[in-house]
Amino acid sequence: MATNIAKIACAVAFAAGVAAPVTAAAKSSTVTAIEERGTLLCSGHNGSYFGFVEVNDKNEWKGLDIDMCRALTTAILGDPDKAQIVPLSWAQRFPALQSGDVDVIIKATGWTMGRDTEVGLQFSLPYFFGGTQFMAHGDLGITEAKELDGGTICVEAGTTIERLAGNYLKTLGIEHTMVSYEKASELRAAYLANRCDAFAAWGPFLAVLRATELEKPDAHIILSDQLSNEPIAAAMRQGDEEFVDMVNWMIAALLIAEEEGVTSANVEEMASNPPNPKIARLLGVDPGMGERLGIRDTWAKEMIAATGNFGEIYDRNLGEGSPYKLERGLNNLWSHGGVLYAPILD
Amino acid sequence: MDAAALKLRRSRRDMLVQTLLVVFVVLVIWVAISTAHTNLTELNMTSGFGFLERATGWSYSFSLIDRSIDDSYSKTLLIGFLNTLFLGLICIVLSTILGFAIGTARDARQLGLNSLATVYIQIFRNLPLILQLVFWYAVLIHMPGPRQAFTMGEVAFLSNRGLMLPGFNVSPTVVLAMFAAVVLLAVVIFRQKSLQPVQKLLLWLVSGSGAMLLLAWIFAPADSSIFSIPAQQGLRFRGGIGVPIELVAMILAITLYGSAYIAEVVRGGLNEVPSGLTEAGKALGLSSRAIWFHVKVPMALRTIMPPLGNQWIFIMKATTLGVAIGFSDLFYIVSTSITQSGQTLELMGLLMLSFLLINYSLAQLVNFMNARLALKGH
Repeated sequence: MATNIAKIACAVAFAAGVAAPVTAAAKSSTVTAIEERGTLLCSGHNGSYFGFVEVNDKNEWKGLDIDMCRALTTAILGDPDKAQIVPLSWAQRFPALQSGDVDVIIKATGWTMGRDTEVGLQFSLPYFFGGTQFMAHGDLGITEAKELDGGTICVEAGTTIERLAGNYLKTLGIEHTMVSYEKASELRAAYLANRCDAFAAWGPFLAVLRATELEKPDAHIILSDQLSNEPIAAAMRQGDEEFVDMVNWMIAALLIAEEEGVTSANVEEMASNPPNPKIARLLGVDPGMGERLGIRDTWAKEMIAATGNFGEIYDRNLGEGSPYKLERGLNNLWSHGGVLYAPILD
Repeated sequence: MDAAALKLRRSRRDMLVQTLLVVFVVLVIWVAISTAHTNLTELNMTSGFGFLERATGWSYSFSLIDRSIDDSYSKTLLIGFLNTLFLGLICIVLSTILGFAIGTARDARQLGLNSLATVYIQIFRNLPLILQLVFWYAVLIHMPGPRQAFTMGEVAFLSNRGLMLPGFNVSPTVVLAMFAAVVLLAVVIFRQKSLQPVQKLLLWLVSGSGAMLLLAWIFAPADSSIFSIPAQQGLRFRGGIGVPIELVAMILAITLYGSAYIAEVVRGGLNEVPSGLTEAGKALGLSSRAIWFHVKVPMALRTIMPPLGNQWIFIMKATTLGVAIGFSDLFYIVSTSITQSGQTLELMGLLMLSFLLINYSLAQLVNFMNARLALKGH
């Protein structure tokens, strides 16, 4: 008898558990907390991680990841300046998220199985892909690794990059000499002294090195080849699926806007006279965009007006509009030879 | 107790002490190995030498034989071993020659020569080797690039990538055969008692070059020249023998440092020769060159040999600094293998074993030369 009561209690509890999300408003508890607080807490960096999370001497933040955070803030709160950047080191970011010091980590964080399971995180759609690349001296007049035949390549010894580069060049059938150094400083000195024709490292790192630490950035070129890939995504606490939806659709809206040619400059015009039903839905002219996430219907329109579409964010922080001049490569829309794509907006 | 009983007791006691010592050493080693094994098993780390057959997947700056990233760890380690041996032997030969020259200058009466040698020794002996190595490497890689290389008659080039020399258009195996032939000729020719030293040298040079040309002519590809001359093509030089700049820097730094020590050893040895002997040579009307060759050096060698052997072993060990500038010596290969394969203990063991082998052989060679040099009856 006692066991039967327990079983019934269990079944009731289970039924309640299943039913609860259905009956409750589909609104994220994190979003509610953000609205109550009036600010969105985002991960910054202890210093500058150039291109992604940069801070100047006036404590002003910029970069691709900061703009993604400002876009999310605009989507939820309607004002990009309500984003509050919390400086965190690489090691601090996950504990800070778990303890609620930040609402989301948007900071060059790669999606790995360990983080997804053991660390207890949820990842959004990847919004950036960073992989191993080559940087070469500009006077060689080359643009891709195929032209490195006979060249000398410098790498850091004992890294995955050492193997990736060796494997890649072998696959291309490129004869080369690999010189590997134990210390990054020696590697850099050797490359600068022209001991090697090219330098293999993580692409964004090379772009930063080229733009900020080399005397003549234009004398060096980052080759178009991508040797490996790490999906960079926003990380959230496990257990708030609605917030994951929110962040996913924030990223999706930025990509759809780029796909449809909606920019910060023409967004108002497009909203007043939508050229197609998809844009009408995206910008909240047709209702549904916000309702399904529990926020305003015009969130995407406000967000695009504030930060621009994904292409604009990229160009401003890493691409042509930035000191780094990083080519989009894989970080372009699928329709332009990249791998970024948005889920279907229906 | 009589003497015999006392002796027996003593030998038993000695035996007991020796046995205990051996048992203790064996026990310590066994405990160390089994502890390491237990700890590794607990951490789920694999131990053993199975990884030696796996492909490495990475490349490095220098090898005497053909290499690829598909090579197994055992082949890569062998290449590292050969590189260390090659670099070590070159440095030993060069620093011994240079050391004898400078040590002699240090022993000379001329003030200018003497003080020059003193300055050389003080500079190169008193600065840490790694500092000198990094310095020379920095100097060398700041030389012009391959497109603006210094050239010597369009056949040899020096750039910040290395030294390009003309060579024979043959495989490394044939080069090895050439080397063997030249050594063999040297052994045969220098044993001839009927020839003057200069004649021997001339004969050896001529016959050696002849043998090399003959081998090159036989083994060179049919449709091309027997010589391979480096030529700039694209990003690098093709043809010829390429000496990478890392190897040049290693040879330069180790030779300068090692020769300064050897010079001091040589000076000490020359000092030991009783002045009566040199005076006797003078009285016999020998030239100072003849005195140096036939009186001073043969006498001094007996004092020089043991510390010289130590210097040779030191030079061998100094090759491990290659890791600082990206030269792929054995230590560099081992340390990269450790980070890439994670087999720390096994690789460290192999590294120690290799150096033990090299340096024990060197020590045996020095002992052998010492025995040959010893005065009969002393």
